[in-house]
Amino acid sequence: MTATIRTSGLTKRYRRVTALSECTISVPEGRISALVGPNGAGKTTLLRLLAGLAAPTAGQATVLGGTPRQDPAYLAGIGYLAQDIPLYRRLTARDHIGIGAHLNPRWDSESVRARLGGLKIPLDRPLATLSGGQRAQVALTLTLAKRPRLLLLDEPLAALDPLARRSFLATLAEAAVQEDGAAGGDLTIVLSSHLLTDIGRVCDHLILLASSRVQLCGDIETVLAQHRILTGPRKDTTAIARMHAIVREDTTARQTTLLLRLGSPVIDPAWAIAEPSLEEIVLGYMSQDNPAYGTGHQAARLSAVGEDR
Amino acid sequence: MTWVTWRQYRYQGALAAALFAALTVVLLITGLHVAQLWHSALARCATDGSCANLAGTGLSLQSPVLTTLIVGTSAVALLPGLFWGAPMVAHELETGTNQFAWTQSITRRRWLAVRTGWLLLAAAVLAGAVSALVTWATGPDSALYADAFQINRFDVTDIVPVGYAVFAMALGICAGTLLRRTLPAVAVTLAGFVGIRVLTAQWLRPHYMTPVTGYYKLTRLYAPKGSYLSVSQGIVGPDGKPPVAGLGGYVFNGGPIPTVCAKAIQNPAPCMAAHGYRAFLTYQPASRFWAFQGIETAIFVILAAILLGFTFWVLLRRDA
Repeated sequence: MTATIRTSGLTKRYRRVTALSECTISVPEGRISALVGPNGAGKTTLLRLLAGLAAPTAGQATVLGGTPRQDPAYLAGIGYLAQDIPLYRRLTARDHIGIGAHLNPRWDSESVRARLGGLKIPLDRPLATLSGGQRAQVALTLTLAKRPRLLLLDEPLAALDPLARRSFLATLAEAAVQEDGAAGGDLTIVLSSHLLTDIGRVCDHLILLASSRVQLCGDIETVLAQHRILTGPRKDTTAIARMHAIVREDTTARQTTLLLRLGSPVIDPAWAIAEPSLEEIVLGYMSQDNPAYGTGHQAARLSAVGEDR
Repeated sequence: MTWVTWRQYRYQGALAAALFAALTVVLLITGLHVAQLWHSALARCATDGSCANLAGTGLSLQSPVLTTLIVGTSAVALLPGLFWGAPMVAHELETGTNQFAWTQSITRRRWLAVRTGWLLLAAAVLAGAVSALVTWATGPDSALYADAFQINRFDVTDIVPVGYAVFAMALGICAGTLLRRTLPAVAVTLAGFVGIRVLTAQWLRPHYMTPVTGYYKLTRLYAPKGSYLSVSQGIVGPDGKPPVAGLGGYVFNGGPIPTVCAKAIQNPAPCMAAHGYRAFLTYQPASRFWAFQGIETAIFVILAAILLGFTFWVLLRRDA
């Protein structure tokens, strides 16, 4: 299977801040990938680098077989939806359809009209007069009308109420199926979000960033299969750390709870073993931000999860 | 991209066209009235041969409204730069819409080039049209008082307003790109434009070419033929230098009265003339009017090109 996105050592530094550090990921074609991580983890930076809006300080990215850059052919393959869904608020949806039609080679005006008509969103009112949910739908529909092969969505769900969120994700899921083969390949989607339950519903791939580094990257099934939660009486964990990577350790007076990435199938039967939810895994890695739970070294080692497939 | 530019600027364009139409009506009415006065005065003076002294006959071709309006048109060169140029990049950056625009299948260079091109053209056409109108409406007055070369007339007629408009637009776009905020960009454009205009009009313009100096007797009035731009004037003594030691407190034509004329303080001119003192006027003659229009236009167009080159350089290298 070919990778739509492949980066190695991608790094972005602003004057003093490192927004993204040594990011090495790969997203296979056709995946809907969830990009998660705490605020300031580098999610937006990664998406902007992939969209060609910013240039990396170091490292390379290969997207759709090319380097992200200012080039009509490259940009035609990318659908990018920025945070806060910026559109021209004084222009109407119809104006935006016209703009898209004039600036893109594979533009599909008909699908926009049909989709917005189906959602009962007026075409000839300034976007400022629409609700946030409607604007998000307009923005997503416009991004899809470009018929991209890779969709990069930066927190598109953040401003939406649960109902609008569901409708947005429905449009997205529908597009992922419909766009098959439209431009010679499956549509790949990378979607950043904080809303783990919503993501679990539509995504089949996960990229987890924390402290500007990649903590996890792989198919969600694989990620789930590689992690276990161990609960047992409080005791020394050095024996278990020799065979498995301890992602997170919670200790109370009597009990120890561990989130493990399995290194081998063998686990000491003294522990009670449970399969973690995606949310538990993500939160486990995010709390590594806290130096008590992990080091940069450990994080770098863990980023190999799913890479060997 | 042209269609996109038009879609975004059509309301501003329509507003500018409406204001221009209103200005045209007012200037046409007053201008036709002035032209009529001027031609009837010319016809009258031709019959009695007094045309050489027409300016002294009390003929008035001005009205307070017209004068104010004409001076006010110097803002026409600035306004497109303020209201279209400064927000062109800055407003996109403020609202984040640049992320929409620059991820369509178009390079940032083309986005910037087309938009900049159309706005420059719009500003130049608007300034040129208003200038043509003003040049026509002030024609009789400039001819009567020979003041085409004066500040406030030179600056709003013929081709220099086009140069100013192109410069203001470039300055607005550049300031908006560098500052990333519309309001500061507007302020910088306003201050920068006024500053550079005052600097060139007051200090640079008189020195575009080596001025001509005319010497004349103190006892009679002297003015070069036609409209000229005065650089300096004063009195020189027989040694070619201005009078130095004089009678304390007494001044004639901006210079001290030499001691030899101490007895003629009330009317020192004949005495000073008798002792070899002469008046001089350093000026740019009327024949250089078009050369000066061309030089000043070129200066502003070159400044605009530098600003735009810098804008492109910054915007194409910087992260969006």
